[in-house]
Amino acid sequence: MEQALILICGIIAIATAIMVILSRNTVHSAMWMVGNCFIIAVLFLLLRFQFIAILQIIVYAGAIMMFIIYAIMMLNLRLSDDSADIVKNLLNGRYLLLALLFIGIVILGVGFGPMALKGTMTDQAMIKFGEVELLANYIFSEGLLPFELVSVLLTAAIVGAIYLAKKN
Amino acid sequence: MFDYVWLIPFLPLVGVLVNGLFGRRIEKANKSIIHWIGCGSVGLAFLVTFIIFIQMLRLEPDKRLYDYTWFTWMESGNFIVTVGYLIDPISMFMCMFVTGVGFLIHIYSIGYMWHDEGTYFRYFTYLNLFMFCMINLVLADNFLLMFLGWEGVGLCSYLLIAFWFGNKEFAIAGKKAFITNRIGDFFFAIGMLLLIVNLGKHGMWSIKYTDVFAHVSLLSPDLITLICILFFLGCTAKSAQIPLYVWLPDAMAGPTPVSALIHAATMVTAGVYFVARCNILYTMSPLAMQAVAIVGALTAFFAATIALTHNDIKKVLAYSTVSQLGYMFMGLGVGAFAAGLFHVLTHSFFKALLFMCAGCVIHGMSGEQDMRYMGGLRKKMPVTFYTMVIATLALIGFPGFSGFFSKDEILWMAFSSPNGNIMLWLIGVLTAAMTAFYMFRLIFMTFFNECRASEEVRKHIHEAPKSMTIPLIILAFLSVVGGYIGIPKALGGSNIVEHYLKPVIGLGDGKLFQDATGTAITHGAEAAGHHFSHMIEYTLMAITTIIVFAGIFLAYTMYMKKRTIPEKLAEKHSLFYRLLLNKWYIDELYEWNVIKPLHTFSVFMWKIADVIIIDGLVNKTAQFFMWCGSMLRHIQTGYVQRYAITLVAGTVVIVMYYIFSLYI
Amino acid sequence: MAEYQNIYLILSAILFTIGCGGVITRKNAIVVFLSIEIMLGAVNLAFITFSRANNSPEGIFMVMCIMAVAAAEAAVGLAIFVLLYRQTGSINIDKFNLLKW
Repeated sequence: MEQALILICGIIAIATAIMVILSRNTVHSAMWMVGNCFIIAVLFLLLRFQFIAILQIIVYAGAIMMFIIYAIMMLNLRLSDDSADIVKNLLNGRYLLLALLFIGIVILGVGFGPMALKGTMTDQAMIKFGEVELLANYIFSEGLLPFELVSVLLTAAIVGAIYLAKKN
Repeated sequence: MFDYVWLIPFLPLVGVLVNGLFGRRIEKANKSIIHWIGCGSVGLAFLVTFIIFIQMLRLEPDKRLYDYTWFTWMESGNFIVTVGYLIDPISMFMCMFVTGVGFLIHIYSIGYMWHDEGTYFRYFTYLNLFMFCMINLVLADNFLLMFLGWEGVGLCSYLLIAFWFGNKEFAIAGKKAFITNRIGDFFFAIGMLLLIVNLGKHGMWSIKYTDVFAHVSLLSPDLITLICILFFLGCTAKSAQIPLYVWLPDAMAGPTPVSALIHAATMVTAGVYFVARCNILYTMSPLAMQAVAIVGALTAFFAATIALTHNDIKKVLAYSTVSQLGYMFMGLGVGAFAAGLFHVLTHSFFKALLFMCAGCVIHGMSGEQDMRYMGGLRKKMPVTFYTMVIATLALIGFPGFSGFFSKDEILWMAFSSPNGNIMLWLIGVLTAAMTAFYMFRLIFMTFFNECRASEEVRKHIHEAPKSMTIPLIILAFLSVVGGYIGIPKALGGSNIVEHYLKPVIGLGDGKLFQDATGTAITHGAEAAGHHFSHMIEYTLMAITTIIVFAGIFLAYTMYMKKRTIPEKLAEKHSLFYRLLLNKWYIDELYEWNVIKPLHTFSVFMWKIADVIIIDGLVNKTAQFFMWCGSMLRHIQTGYVQRYAITLVAGTVVIVMYYIFSLYI
Repeated sequence: MAEYQNIYLILSAILFTIGCGGVITRKNAIVVFLSIEIMLGAVNLAFITFSRANNSPEGIFMVMCIMAVAAAEAAVGLAIFVLLYRQTGSINIDKFNLLKW
């Protein structure tokens, strides 16, 4: 049951991703991307991480895609002219490179094999304390410095975006 | 007690700073402030020196040593160099006339340089800097600070000789002086380093005179000889001895007061001072002493022969300076350190006077320096005439004048001391005769007979202004009486100078410099002269005097009575005459044997080694990388996706690497 | 969970490759940008999978960081696109080759 669900979701995810890069209309691409984000969120849920799934929907499907669609509309983009090339030049050397990359990643990923399950986020703990609490414990102890650095990064990004978008 | 000794070098330094930094503005505002600062600083320095000198005289002779440390100059491990000043009989002796005569020359310069527009402050800045360096040289309590002054006077001589650098010849003369001095300084520096390193080997990391002299017996005799010879080579450049005297005659390019300063009170006396200062080193090396004596005697003779034929009034004086310096070194070389220093003192009086008189003559003759176009100036410039005659008499050692006592002392020591011999004495006497001849030739040609100058110049002949003549009179007075402080015992005097300097000559009991090892170094010249009877001394004195009179008489016949003789002589011995007139072709010798090969070598190094090899290498390397860059920059297409593909390819490589390292 | 690990990882690899293909083929800057987001999503999936497999919070924390980076990237990147569009009237990335030799 679960495996079937995973496979269906995986197929949908692949399909939406392919549609993103093949659509001629940029707005369509963006909409397919939203779908992809949702499916990824579903996959997160299937992995039993509710919090991160919600986060995925809020940040990606909500915030980032909003940005993009807003940008597309602002720039008044309609059709782009190059998406057909992908199918046409399928024997291009760069696809060979991609195939190599794919094979490599798969070999590496599958090679890991079953993991040790030594961490703290066991199913029991998550049921008992909740995922967020465990995560928060981690963030504010070991992950504090990266977390703070992320905040700096976001601030810098905001400043940069404002500066760039400003009309001289 | 002498804690204000730092004022002596400091005051001229203040003059340098004020005149050097603000001189241009001051000169525009009020020209006379410049010389008030310039002369005032040196005058005050002289005053301080005088006070310290008097204070020192009131001490017991064996307590006249005071080492004042001003501040630490540099420090490296155990090796510490301080800026400190040593007050002892030699340094005060030198400092007295350096500041005193220097002060008079400063005053004289006011009149001489007054008409130089725009360069007045520069002149006094350099002059004060010269005084600063020279005072450092004589007062320093260690070799390195002395070397600072030593180099400093070399620099200042360059600046002052090439003072009118618009004239190319003058600029070249300045360069010549500087480079010749550099050659000597090079040897000097090597000697100093040898001294430091070898004393350091014995754990004696100090270059203070007191420390060095106390531990000098640690060094091997050969090493001391080497160091002494190296030091003396430095002195030959600074004090214009064979083989490095060539710069001094050309140094006449500078303003005449500068010549007076360089030739009389400062600079050239540095070498004599240094050898006298290091008398402890030199007495330990008989070979070095011999070298000093022989070089001095040869120089004295050699320079005198050149002076016989020259017509440029300043050149004649320049060669007479070289000659007199030769005398001093001869004196030092035979162990008569006190006599040598005594001659430095008297020489500084009369030679400064001679140059200043020559300056007055040149001033009055509207810049003419050739004696063939002078003559008959006796009436028109009486003060100059009389003072110059006094100076001449002092220089040639006319009995009763200062030069007589000092020169006689040197000659007597050359004859009688264990280090001397009859040959040295003979050379000295011959030189004295020639000195008498050429000096009176100068006097007769300049001041007697009819005036040979052109109409225009003749109209302008005038006596120099007060600021120039007053120093002349003071110096003339000193030239006469200066000798009486050193009347030898044979003439019933007590030779004050020798007594005064005795504590600093040699080591051991009753001396100011104590030997750390306790073994007193026997001093060769100390007991000299006493095993000869006074009779011999009187005889020698008489011979010298007669020969001097003969020289004067010869000059009188040739240049007053029968003035055709010189020309006939020149024709008869034209080869010899030309040899003398061209200074034995020494300059040409150097030109062809040293300068030309060096120049050719330098051009080779420049054109081939530098331009082709080194520059070529650098340029070719740069060109190679430029070529690489021009090839490689085609990678930078500017297409973002090209970059992305490269990135992917890189990722693939990394992934493959991991796969291979993990599974194979 | 752990038994499905490989399915998730292969899925992640497929998505990553698709995104990568988008990045290196499409000329439209916005689509390139979306492709990058797909790649990030694929990476997120792999991280979450490992986090699950190891029962450890590191993967999740990493994902959160990636999301923050993605957000920052979106803000700055889109601002740049807007600026470029204003300057050139296009967002075809082949036209932005000012950095060439």
